[in-house]
Amino acid sequence: MLDALGDATRRRVLELLRESGSAPVGAIAEAMPVSRPAVSQHLKVLEGAGLVTCTKRGTRHLYAVQPDGLAVLRLWLDGFWDEALIRFKAAAEGSA
Amino acid sequence: MSETMTVAPVVKSVHVRCGVANAFEVFTRGIGSWWPLDELALTPGEVKEVVWEEREGGEVYEISNSGERSHWATVLEWDPPAGFTIAWKVDPDAVAATEVEVRFTPEGDGTQVVLEHRHWDRLGERAAETRNGYDGGWEMVLGRYVDKVG
Repeated sequence: MLDALGDATRRRVLELLRESGSAPVGAIAEAMPVSRPAVSQHLKVLEGAGLVTCTKRGTRHLYAVQPDGLAVLRLWLDGFWDEALIRFKAAAEGSA
Repeated sequence: MSETMTVAPVVKSVHVRCGVANAFEVFTRGIGSWWPLDELALTPGEVKEVVWEEREGGEVYEISNSGERSHWATVLEWDPPAGFTIAWKVDPDAVAATEVEVRFTPEGDGTQVVLEHRHWDRLGERAAETRNGYDGGWEMVLGRYVDKVG
């Protein structure tokens, strides 16, 4: 998830989705200076990190932000603790 | 009142090559040496010190360079060097506190540290009254990255 958010374009995609509610790939690409395949790729990463959900409407895929902010926060802190404990380990062993 | 546990706790463990007492001390009193204070603090990049009142009911707080004091957590259980439990509001707008319990156990040539971050449901239960659920989660996660990279 940290990686998913570590890219400015992906964060912009998320912001667009938060503003619009839900949108297909094409609409997101139109609002951004990047190609449609690139947007598709970013959406896949975001979906894999649990930040975005995808539903099928007929032949179209509609993307939306994962509405449960609690789940997002929990997921983020899960990654946060991984990083924090690595730093803790280095600090504890360095001071031993 | 029953407390449901539909949101699983975050459980992490790490083995450190030092004694239990040292590990406990670095985790608590020495938190400034490893916590990402430039990113996750109430005055990011401006934190002078993180203070632990080392007793049950004590407070954990940061002091900024300008002397401003900001609450991090309340100590629920203090049992050095075996462990501690704190009630942590992960962001100042959170409707309720989550709990973080950390245990330090001798193992092999060092210490096994096990961290459990739990009671996410407390946030969820209260937040269910509002339309968007715990929207603060999004604000915090995105806000941090906008500050950092944006």
